[in-house]
Amino acid sequence: MTTVQPTPSPEAELGLEEPLSPDAGTETLAVAASGGARRNAAWRSFLRKRSVWVFLPLIVVLILISFVGPYFVGDPVSAIYPKLLPPSSEHWLGTDNLGRDYLARVVYGGQVSLIVGFSVAVLCLTLGLVIGGLAGFYGGFMDNALVKVSEFFQVLPGLVLALVAAALLGSNVVIIIVILGVTMWPGVARIVRAEAMRITKLGYVESAKAAGFSGPRILWSDVIPNAMPPVLVATTMTVGRAILVESGLSYLGIGDANRPSWGALLNSAQAYMQQAWWLALFPGLCIFLVVLAVNILGDAMNDALNPTIGRVK
Amino acid sequence: MKAMAIHYGRLLLSSLILFVVVLTVLFLLLEIAPGDPIQNFVGDVPISPAFEAQIVAAFGLDRPLWERYLVYLGNVFRGELGYSFGTNEPVLELILNRAGNTLAIAVPAFVISTTLGIVLGAIAARTRKRWLDGGISAGAVALFSVPNFWLGMLLIIVFSIQLGWLPTQGKAPYGQDGIDIRYMVLPVITMASTELAFKTRIMRSSMIESLGQDFIDTARSKGLPSQRVLWRHALPNALLPMVTVAGYSLGFILAGSVLVESVFGWPGMGLLFVDAIQRQDNQVVLGVAIFLTITILLANILTDITYGIVDPRLRAQFTRKAVVK
Repeated sequence: MTTVQPTPSPEAELGLEEPLSPDAGTETLAVAASGGARRNAAWRSFLRKRSVWVFLPLIVVLILISFVGPYFVGDPVSAIYPKLLPPSSEHWLGTDNLGRDYLARVVYGGQVSLIVGFSVAVLCLTLGLVIGGLAGFYGGFMDNALVKVSEFFQVLPGLVLALVAAALLGSNVVIIIVILGVTMWPGVARIVRAEAMRITKLGYVESAKAAGFSGPRILWSDVIPNAMPPVLVATTMTVGRAILVESGLSYLGIGDANRPSWGALLNSAQAYMQQAWWLALFPGLCIFLVVLAVNILGDAMNDALNPTIGRVK
Repeated sequence: MKAMAIHYGRLLLSSLILFVVVLTVLFLLLEIAPGDPIQNFVGDVPISPAFEAQIVAAFGLDRPLWERYLVYLGNVFRGELGYSFGTNEPVLELILNRAGNTLAIAVPAFVISTTLGIVLGAIAARTRKRWLDGGISAGAVALFSVPNFWLGMLLIIVFSIQLGWLPTQGKAPYGQDGIDIRYMVLPVITMASTELAFKTRIMRSSMIESLGQDFIDTARSKGLPSQRVLWRHALPNALLPMVTVAGYSLGFILAGSVLVESVFGWPGMGLLFVDAIQRQDNQVVLGVAIFLTITILLANILTDITYGIVDPRLRAQFTRKAVVK
C-alpha cells in the first residue's frame, strides 16, 4: 500500500531505526577507533543491567536442561507409571494421561522448541542480511520488492499462512522451520535495509567507492558489519516470536507428531485441564520463560546500543 | 481534493494487486500440495477409471494450470469460494455464519486493548514514579512473551475449574442460541492480552518522544498548566502512530482468533479454520484465509483514511497539492 504516513513497526518503536550515534555523518578516518570504543561502551552498559544478570543465566540454564537434560531424565515415551500423577518427589512434574514421566517429556519438548526458535532466527538473519542489504544499498527494484513483500505478510498474517502451508505441505520440524523463516524474515530485512541506507550515506562508504571497491565488496565488508548491532537485536527478538508461533502451530495440532514440542504438550493437556493442571502449567511456563528471557535480553541490548532512547527527563 | 482522490485511488489499486498476489500464493500452495485431489474427493476407496474421468472432467482437472488459475480468480471475485468437502455446504455461507461470533469477541478485545494500551502507555511515559513506569513496562514485556492460548488455558483452570465463576467452553449454555456474556469474558481477555502489551509499549515510546518535542517546551514556557500540556498538546501528537498500530492490530487479532477460539471452543471463523485444517477440507481452509485477507485489507484502507483525517499535516499536504495544481 502506498502509505504516506510513517508506519511504526515494533523495530521503530524500539528505536532501532535511529542512528546509533548523532555524529555518525562526520566520522571518516577515526571510524575504527571510535567504533571499537562505542562497542565496548555498549557491552559494558549491557552487562551492567540487572535484568541481564537474571535472564542471561536463565536462558543458558534452560538451554542446558533441554540439551543435556535428556541424558538424565529417562525415557519420554515409555508409559510405565500410573496415569495423571500430580507432581511429587518421584515425578517432579507428575505423569501424563498415558502414564509417562512428564519431566522427561517437557525436557525433550524443549529441544524441539529451541531448535525451531534458533533455526528460524538464523534463517531470518541470513535472508534479512542478503535481501535487506541489497535493498538498502542499491535501492531501486530490490527496495520496492522488499516493501511489497513486507506488505504481503502484513495482509496475510504469518500464522495463517503457516497454518495453510503446514496443512497442505505436511509438517515436520524442517518444514515448520522453513515456513516460519519464510514468513518472518521481512522483519529483520526491514532493519537491515534501514541501517544499510543510513550507512551507505556515510563518509567511509563514499571513500570506499572512490577508492574503486566493488559494490558487493563494500556491502559485505563495510555496510553489513556496521549494520549488525541493531540487526542482532531484531534477530534475538525473532527467536522469541518463532518459539511463540511454533508453539501456537503445535498447539493447534500442526507440528511434528514424532517430536512433540512444548506447544504440542499443551495440545494434549487441553483435554485434561479438569483433572491435571500440571500438564498445562509446565510446558507453557517454559515457553513463557524462554520468550521472556529473549525479549528482555533484546531490550537490554537495544538500550545499551541506544543510550539516548530512554526516558526524557 | 484531486491529490486526495489520486492518493486513495492508488491505495485501492495497490490493495487489489496485493489481494491478487495473496490469491496466487494460495493457489500455488494448493497446486504443489502433495496428495491426489481425486482420491481426496472420493475418500479412501478404489474407483473405476470411468468415474475418475468423470471427476476430472467435472472439476476441470485436465485443463492447463493457467486456465484453472484464471477460473479460480474469477470464482473468488464472484464470491464463489466453493463447497466444503465434508458437509457440501457453500464455503461462503459457512464463513458468514461464523464471522459474527468472531467479531463478537474480536471487537471488544480490540476496543479494550486500544484504550487500555493508550492509558497505560501514557501513564508509564509521563509518571515520575519509577516503580510505576517500571511495573507497566515489565508487565507489558511479560504479557508480550506469554503464549496467549496458554494464558487462556490458565484462566480456564483458575476461574472456571477451580473457582467455578465462569464457564469453560462455548458461547452459551448447551442448546441455547445467541451469545451469553459470561462466556465472552475469558476469550476477550485472552484475545486482548498480546495486543494490549504491544500497544502499551508503542504508546509509551511515542508519548516519550512527543514529550521531548520542542512545541511541548514552547507550551510549557508559555505558562500553560502541565495537565493541559499533557492532554491537549502531547497526547494527540503521540496518538498518531497509534492509529496505524491499532489498524494493523485488527489483522493480528483476527489471525489470533484461530488460537483463542480453539482454547475456548468458541464457534467462530478461527475454529472453523482449525477444524477444516484437521479434516483437510481445503476449500474451507482457503476460503477462511481469503476472507481474513479481505478483512485485513479493508481494515488497512480504513486506517489510512482515518490517518488522513486525523493528521493535520497530511490534510494540509492534500490541500496544498490541490492548490498548486
